[in-house]
Amino acid sequence: MNAPLPKRLWQWFVRSRVGRSVFRVGLPESNLERSQAMVSSFLLHLQPAKVSRHALKAGTTLGLGLISLYLFLILIGTGLLLMFYYVPSTDRAYDAMKDLQFVVSAGLVVRNMHRWAAHLMVLFVLLHLCRVFFTGAYKRPREFNWLIGTALFLLTLGLSFTGYLLPWDQLAFWAITVGTNIAGYAPVVGPRLKFLLLGGNVVGQEALIRFYALHVIVLPAVAGLLVAIHLWRVRKDGGLSRPDEPADLVEQVEQSRLPTNKTYGLMELARGTTPLVGRNPEDDVFSWPHLVFREVLLFLAVVAVVMFLAVFWNAPLEQVANPVHPPNPAKAPWYFLGLQELVSYSAFWGGVVVPGLLVAVLVLLPYLDRGRAGVGRWFARERVVANTVFALCLAAAIVLTVIGSLFRGPNWSWQVPWQPPPAAGGEP
Amino acid sequence: MSPPASEQPPSRRAFFELTFGWLAATFAVVASSVAAVKFLTPNVLYEPSLRFKAGRPGDYADGSVTFLEDERVFIVRQGNTYRCLSAICTHLGCTVNRAGAGYHCPCHGSVFNAQGQVEGGPAPRALEWFLVTLSKDNRLLVDKTERVAADKYLVL
Repeated sequence: MNAPLPKRLWQWFVRSRVGRSVFRVGLPESNLERSQAMVSSFLLHLQPAKVSRHALKAGTTLGLGLISLYLFLILIGTGLLLMFYYVPSTDRAYDAMKDLQFVVSAGLVVRNMHRWAAHLMVLFVLLHLCRVFFTGAYKRPREFNWLIGTALFLLTLGLSFTGYLLPWDQLAFWAITVGTNIAGYAPVVGPRLKFLLLGGNVVGQEALIRFYALHVIVLPAVAGLLVAIHLWRVRKDGGLSRPDEPADLVEQVEQSRLPTNKTYGLMELARGTTPLVGRNPEDDVFSWPHLVFREVLLFLAVVAVVMFLAVFWNAPLEQVANPVHPPNPAKAPWYFLGLQELVSYSAFWGGVVVPGLLVAVLVLLPYLDRGRAGVGRWFARERVVANTVFALCLAAAIVLTVIGSLFRGPNWSWQVPWQPPPAAGGEP
Repeated sequence: MSPPASEQPPSRRAFFELTFGWLAATFAVVASSVAAVKFLTPNVLYEPSLRFKAGRPGDYADGSVTFLEDERVFIVRQGNTYRCLSAICTHLGCTVNRAGAGYHCPCHGSVFNAQGQVEGGPAPRALEWFLVTLSKDNRLLVDKTERVAADKYLVL
């Protein structure tokens, strides 16, 4: 055998006594070993030993969920680094941001990566939600995973919102003032919720430390747990949705019917009477290397894009927070600007009723929309009504966000986009 | 297969065990939830006092409207009358600016007249007026916990 040197070195290592203790299989040579490689590794066993060609096609999911996961991992990595310098105190938080910008080696890039990955994660989680909707992948038996996905979407927004306060600059202070006052409009529990969230009546030291604790441990821990369940359920609920799903998939999954007529020595454990129910064996390929290779490649691409953004565009940092002078206009993060546009008409309708209804519809959707026609296909004709309604809601959200981001100037009055802002706001 | 339905009613001992068990479990969950919320609710606030002295009456010129930065209020003097108007927008809590005779909020464009009443924009309520009294050492004393009508003055 004339393998390249790195490969030979690797093979020598995994066959050694130490290597065997770590990697049970090593670089697989046969199909049996390819299955074993997936099942014997903690990180890989989350995925099936074999995967359908349909699932591997780029157009099936566009990799949106995986990209969201990778951005979450980048956020954990860069966030841990930032924690070594950041101090959640109103006296020192802003100085820590300046230190990261001017003093700490690579501090600026790490903070930029964290910021852009956070923005991208909001975007890609939203796109992933759209993909699942437009392919009808939330339908039976995958309803519960849609609920977990909705929770993860809200957690992503919560993570982003709590992180927004931490730089303690004008942008942070006023976005959180506006955001928590919206929470105060919620019926019955609103004022109490706002008081609990801020640990007081105004955005101050207590609010900063509460947002910090939520941002660095509470929300990431919950999100991490839900991500694990989300991925696990993808497999347990019959894998990625496909146009050619077996007719009895719902029964198989919901009754957890385990096959009784096959041994468990083979690596192809699928539910059903045979391992390859409703599918042509030729449609399946081994996850190692076909799936794993694509996943590693996508991860490298995501890291590369985030680093590129971080090197060329700096995260914003305005003047230190000043409770007396709101910037004019005071704007929330871009993904809340549609909401802020609505709130500028009515805080109760725009801040409580519309978002509350949207969340309620997202949660109830898989239980209300019960047919299984068109599952696994983009924009299926059978789902034209649902897809149109969803697309209209999405378009409304995009229009409101664009108006709030580009067409609203000082005093929240209309402006032509990309105009230089006037020199100063009004004096109190 | 569901287990065969029990023909026998539960014994007295099983009944009490079940009842007591569920009661104890419910109590434990409710009590620890209440305790957690109470723990997270601050009992002491390190915020500026809601009752504060705003200097001597003579510090304010007749017909003036003065913004106090730390307290985020306006002191309004007309002749020998004194009033105190909140500078916190009732919409989403931004600080309003003076604009002409009235007030204007930069965040979402609410407009208030000189009496604090809403003239435009999304603000749901008028700006609040606070009780102004005179302390024993002849200082204006503002109490932000006491809201008063717009036509209630301190007359000196």
